[in-house]
Amino acid sequence: MSRSLLIGLLFVWLLLSPQNSAMAATCSCAGVPLLTSIDTSATEKGQFFVTYTTEFHQISDLVSGTRDVTDETDRDRSSFSQVLSASYALTDRWAVSALVSYVEHSRTIGSSFLGETISSGIGDSVILARYTPMFITPFSRHELSFGLGVRIPTGEDNFGDGFVFSEDMQPSSGSVGKIFWSSYSYAFNQAATVQFNASTNFTTNEENDRHYAFGDELNFALGISHSIGTRFGYSAALRYRTTKADKRSGALIPNTGGEWLDFVPAVQYAINDQFNIALSGRIPVARKLDGVLQFTTSYSYALSLSYGF
Amino acid sequence: MFSGKAINTGQQISLSDYRGKVVFVDFWASWCPPCLASLPAYDQMREEIGTEEFEIIAINVDENTEDGVEFLAEHPVRYPVLADPDGIIGIPYGIRTLPHSFLLDRDGQIISSHRSFKLGDEIKLKLEIEQLLKKDQMNH
Repeated sequence: MSRSLLIGLLFVWLLLSPQNSAMAATCSCAGVPLLTSIDTSATEKGQFFVTYTTEFHQISDLVSGTRDVTDETDRDRSSFSQVLSASYALTDRWAVSALVSYVEHSRTIGSSFLGETISSGIGDSVILARYTPMFITPFSRHELSFGLGVRIPTGEDNFGDGFVFSEDMQPSSGSVGKIFWSSYSYAFNQAATVQFNASTNFTTNEENDRHYAFGDELNFALGISHSIGTRFGYSAALRYRTTKADKRSGALIPNTGGEWLDFVPAVQYAINDQFNIALSGRIPVARKLDGVLQFTTSYSYALSLSYGF
Repeated sequence: MFSGKAINTGQQISLSDYRGKVVFVDFWASWCPPCLASLPAYDQMREEIGTEEFEIIAINVDENTEDGVEFLAEHPVRYPVLADPDGIIGIPYGIRTLPHSFLLDRDGQIISSHRSFKLGDEIKLKLEIEQLLKKDQMNH
């Protein structure tokens, strides 16, 4: 895929949810980037949204610290996830969101198909409760929202052909995670067609049955969105992510954890009052990864279709 | 309850003046795309129902009321339009998106609220108003 086409696709995808992020970018990423796909649209009492997202991650960049390294192993690593998410506004201030995921990991080392490993299955699920004390209206330019949630290891260990896949190839993280989420938006005009958004989320990860604990993760994103008319919108965001090193039985796992800065563009089109389609992507800007060598995300893109009423 | 001077007719009005009538209160702004369709549709609906027992009161929420006045010059309506740039009327009604309208019975009680607008909505709304008028006639 050419770089220009890739950038185009990424730009088309990003509008979906610049305020959310919990992308697992290293090769220590059993879980899918669930918070990027969770629907947080329902904000007025009685509103209900269902979103289906399909997301692809190419995880083939080899990085040493901040430096890209040429991979001599002809390795190809990717993740493909499908996420079904729903959100419902219980009141004008309280809403709940939930999602379930299905994940497929693929890894090929060398040019022979014999070197290909594929794992797939149900991934993690997330439930998030949100409280919005301030929201954008014709009389207010500010919106503030907080959320508390939990990531539930609904997936199973994938034993493949009689062996347990490594943690980065597991469809599910296998562990409970606590999620703290917040988002702030400012509307530059009364119609709120141009908005600034800042969001952050923090996820703590417990140890799973395999005694493995993914590193705690912090995401912070700043973005601008612009809607044109009632149908079309686009956005661009910078997303910072940092994770601690993973642990097994309390011992640090080398070559895990680090910092990432990504550019996240997106476009969205409202097919009608109920259906929205969105395309977004993620392009690495900078990264500083712990350890000697890590495989990390080269790019990702997602397509989503949402239905609301 | 609210009152004010209509920006299109110049008349001083108060919601309480319409006690005994079914009232449709419509919040809108000049920058709201669906409002371009809803205002003339509501104006037509008002003409068809008549104003003997029914009235529409529109609330323009443009930060700059002049924008609303200019909009009305291009898209005139025959019902009174009040200006509410600071949300004195709109905030108590819980307005978050536009257009947002409310149907009030003869006692001033909110019977239903309607968010957004697409052509054809006025047909269902007219039916709802006519049913309310009939019901209220039986009760009064």
